[in-house]
Amino acid sequence: MARIELESISHSYDSLSKPEDEREYAVSGLDISWADGSANALLGPSGCGKTTILNIISGLLYPTAGRVRVNGNDVTGLAPRERKIAQVFQFPVVYDSMNVFDNLAFPLRNQKTPEKTVKTKVEETAEILGLADRLKSRTTGLNAADKQKISLGRSIVREDTAAVLLDEPLTVIDPKFKGELRRKLREVQNRLKKTMIYVTHDQHEALTFADNVTIVKDGRLIQKGSPEELHAQPATPFIGYFIGSPGMNLLDCSLDDGRLQFADFALPIGQDMQKKMASYGKDFKFGIRPEFLDVAAEEKNRAVEFTVAVIEDTGAYKVLTCDRRNSRIKARVSESISIREGDRVWLSFPEDKVNLFYNEQRII
Amino acid sequence: MGIAVFNIEKSYEATPALRDVSMEIEDGAFVTLLGATGAGKTTLLRIMCGIDRPDKGRVHYDGADVTRVPVRKRNVAMVYQEFVNYPSMTIYENIASPLRVSKNRHTKAGIDQKVRHNAGLLGLTGVLDHYPEEVSGGQKQRTAIARALVKDTRFVFLDEPLANLDYKLREELRGELKTLLTHKGGAVVYATPEPVDALSMSTHVAYLQEGRVLQYGALQDVYRNPASVEVGAYFSYPTMNIMEADVTTEQDRIFLRISEEIAIDVTRFRDRLAHGQYLVGIRAYNLYTAQKMENLISFTATVELAEELGSDTELHVRHQGQVFVVLMQEVARFPIGTQITVYLDPGRLFLFDRETRQLAFKTFS
Repeated sequence: MARIELESISHSYDSLSKPEDEREYAVSGLDISWADGSANALLGPSGCGKTTILNIISGLLYPTAGRVRVNGNDVTGLAPRERKIAQVFQFPVVYDSMNVFDNLAFPLRNQKTPEKTVKTKVEETAEILGLADRLKSRTTGLNAADKQKISLGRSIVREDTAAVLLDEPLTVIDPKFKGELRRKLREVQNRLKKTMIYVTHDQHEALTFADNVTIVKDGRLIQKGSPEELHAQPATPFIGYFIGSPGMNLLDCSLDDGRLQFADFALPIGQDMQKKMASYGKDFKFGIRPEFLDVAAEEKNRAVEFTVAVIEDTGAYKVLTCDRRNSRIKARVSESISIREGDRVWLSFPEDKVNLFYNEQRII
Repeated sequence: MGIAVFNIEKSYEATPALRDVSMEIEDGAFVTLLGATGAGKTTLLRIMCGIDRPDKGRVHYDGADVTRVPVRKRNVAMVYQEFVNYPSMTIYENIASPLRVSKNRHTKAGIDQKVRHNAGLLGLTGVLDHYPEEVSGGQKQRTAIARALVKDTRFVFLDEPLANLDYKLREELRGELKTLLTHKGGAVVYATPEPVDALSMSTHVAYLQEGRVLQYGALQDVYRNPASVEVGAYFSYPTMNIMEADVTTEQDRIFLRISEEIAIDVTRFRDRLAHGQYLVGIRAYNLYTAQKMENLISFTATVELAEELGSDTELHVRHQGQVFVVLMQEVARFPIGTQITVYLDPGRLFLFDRETRQLAFKTFS
């Protein structure tokens, strides 16, 4: 069990002989702390630096600058096995020549654990993973999801494992087993309360697994928070769009004479908001989630007229793509609302659901 | 006018892939072939477009038999799951390629106009000079789609075109494809395992299982009236909960008993209740975690997992040995093991015959 901290971590794959200011950094200036026993995710698009961060935590990579701490102790110079940080990879790592029991026992026997303890620990781990009835099975006949459970089992079977890193663990899992494995990973973390960091580009997997999600883009930390926080208060327009389905609507606007001026419409706003905005500047990005728009079929005070270009009906709800001359907004409405493509609708924007970004940072 | 297939049979070695499939697709229709891996979707698609020939049965285009006409003589367009592009050509040349080999002669200006128009529709204008390896996965697949659109064919076939794209791109392209493809006038056939693809894009849906079409019809007809448990359980987003129920009589009232705690009064359907046992289906979004309206039936359950779907939460809960899925249209966190009360809308039930598994009736119209 452990708290893991990154302290001013930067990493460049360029040669150290290159002058510092000419180097390209894969990650830079990262300060992140993961609490003891927490379920975490590291989320970002491909190429954002996730794998670099993972390798720095596990010890496969020595950072160009900064320190890695486990429970406050500096482990930056320690080799992977000395850190007691286990890793589960995209591809399950299983020894085909051994049965399930021997696979799970491997890390313990490596440590010369007495065979009696091995038996107890392996059986306990197998029970948690739902593999108890297959301990004597050969691993060759198992599907990828069960093999991935064994990989996870090997990382948690040792009591001294400080933390487990999961690197896109569902990538090669058949879609029909993904749900079950997702549930199992969450359940295991919840039961053992080991610090785990789940690395993925998939928002669905990250938000389902973690209580605390760290979002990285272009090698920088852009937000760390709970799924609710990321949804309600995204730190940047990118997060607003990336988290949520469909993503947040983002429109350029400027503050003009007490109103927000958009490409082809304007919205009056309250005094407080005006004051706050004026202290920043003039040009902003306006964000509102599709599910928070108010959609009316008739003209309404302070509502803006749009035409419904596309309706996507998902069964539970409908997503309307609403167009104006130079503006496009997506709105999510209940499946029971009857509306057709080509209909006119009036959209209003509840002020308490509006996010405003200045210079790519959330201010309201 | 359109595509028709009659009594199609196809086997690979001794394994039957399609069994007696017949379908008619009208012009203007966007038909989804829906089903799990191995259901026969891709096989049917390849036979419809002419890449493969059936062992038995006929394929007609606009009333004419084309069963033996090879794909390159059919004037159809196909988009595959893998991003198929010419690596040595720029994006522009990739999109232009069908026009350059077409029998209909196109002028240079005509080609340029079509390429730029379709590139514009698919947001590729900025990368026309790039090579496929220099663009993202989403742009590679957009290029393949643009190449299918530029051809001006009557029929477009797509085989899981969004499968290899990440979640955000899929979400975006779904809306775009619906507009781009349906405005072409001909017929579109789209194979996918994802119910949400069918729901959000198509006009018609055919549900395939083990090489057979179990149901084919207008999208909303199939969605609202699934012919069997199999169709209902698969063609739902996120899912349909299926429960076993016994019909019991207590004094003058008739109940569907699902568990000790859950008994649904169905006295008003007395005339239609023919059997003692049913399979009861209810979609995940007709279960709630709060008493949102009157006449809901409540029961207690334990949370097993809260799956976060971006803006929604899919709650997996256990009640007396049965797992239910509840769709909450908000981001909510529930620790595993939390006890909650679930509310079920008895006015949204599908009743399937337990023997035949066919839809018997619904508690709504």
